[in-house]
Amino acid sequence: MDFSVEAALAALPALLRATGTNIAIAAAAMALALAGGIFLTILRSLKIAPVNLAVGVVISFIRGTPVLIQIFLFYYGLPALGLQLDPLTAGICAIAFNSTIFISEIMRGGLADMDPGPVEAAIALGLKARAIWGKVVIPQLLLRILPPLVNEATIILKGTALLSVITVVELFRTAQQISATTFRPFETMLAAAAIILLLNVLVSQFGGMLERRLAVRRG
Amino acid sequence: MALDLSIIADNAGLFAKGAVATVYISLAAIAAGLLIAFPVALLRLSPRRVMSWPAMAYVELFRNIPFIVMLSLFFYGLPFFGLRLQPMTTGIVALALFGSAYFAEIVRGAILSVPRGQMESARAIGMSYLRALREIIFPQMLRFFIPAATNTSISLVKESAVLATLSVAELTYQGLIVQGQTYAPFEVFLATAAIYWGLTALLAAGFRASERRLGGQGRRGFSSRHRLAARYLSLEPEPRS
Repeated sequence: MDFSVEAALAALPALLRATGTNIAIAAAAMALALAGGIFLTILRSLKIAPVNLAVGVVISFIRGTPVLIQIFLFYYGLPALGLQLDPLTAGICAIAFNSTIFISEIMRGGLADMDPGPVEAAIALGLKARAIWGKVVIPQLLLRILPPLVNEATIILKGTALLSVITVVELFRTAQQISATTFRPFETMLAAAAIILLLNVLVSQFGGMLERRLAVRRG
Repeated sequence: MALDLSIIADNAGLFAKGAVATVYISLAAIAAGLLIAFPVALLRLSPRRVMSWPAMAYVELFRNIPFIVMLSLFFYGLPFFGLRLQPMTTGIVALALFGSAYFAEIVRGAILSVPRGQMESARAIGMSYLRALREIIFPQMLRFFIPAATNTSISLVKESAVLATLSVAELTYQGLIVQGQTYAPFEVFLATAAIYWGLTALLAAGFRASERRLGGQGRRGFSSRHRLAARYLSLEPEPRS
């Protein structure tokens, strides 16, 4: 069988449409994970021993097990606890939960590297904890951890392809469906790979641009 | 609802077979990935564009394409080049190359972490490039290399779950089989996850042992001088005074 460029090109429009789903899933998961990561970080900073112990176990579990299994647990496992989610919701929740844990770990590292001076000044000025988090710690932290956050965004984007296994019709599943009718799986997958490669490179570039602009503003 | 552990006990054989396959696949991919990573990293460090550019493209390709897509590219693509491999072999090859891209970046970072003067001095006293690498650079880069390489190795164990999509009989695949027979997804996937958790914990423990041997400094605590700021900036328990 010869390689058919036409087959790859013919698959492109449908694949590009399907990529919209990946982008939407990734955006939703990233937003949830960022909020979740900030929440978890503040929770851990309270240093309530039993809570932090439980959080530690969850962190270890999420970091030590495949995302694929976590997706299965959210989609196939949660109904056993009386929570039935549709594939898309279950998938977004699984990826967001996974990423919340990783972002909270990124934030832990970022906090440890931060200059204690401004925080001490804020405490000395009598700012309330809410203001210290909202106006001093979080803005500086986000600026500082921007590079790993952009990296996490590309990991999330790559993770969206895994949702094909719980029947979410996104880029990879669409590629499989097209392959099944055209019998051109290699060409179709190559086109799909090119699309997501380009998307990830764009996200990384955008992240780099953002970093440079913010670095200028930080002066 | 209660966990029905008999489902796990009844299928312990399948889980064990899957776990053994996962260990085999991961170890093979980690070993091959490390071997490939060194030449890729050295090419990437070359000042000559013709050498560094292909190595960079290789790394970026594998790091920016989801492994599930990459795996399927190998599965459908290798026959185009006359290579007809078992799904298991295809999976190991894909996982090894995928891992090699990440390992290569770690090797590169580790080599760069050793001061330039080390290589220059070694060359100045007449060592060849390769001998200087082996005897001067490699021993010094281990401190940087081992923690990062352990993380990537753990990622590869987790990523090997994706081989289930090629019906390779590893742990996740066996989990799906047991789930299909018992209709007890919660127990089955929790048990599967627990086994992965154990495997990755084992890898992490091995790393900590090697770190102690190499005299790594471990995790540093928050300076006690900044105990006030530690209320916000540290998530560890307060140090005892």
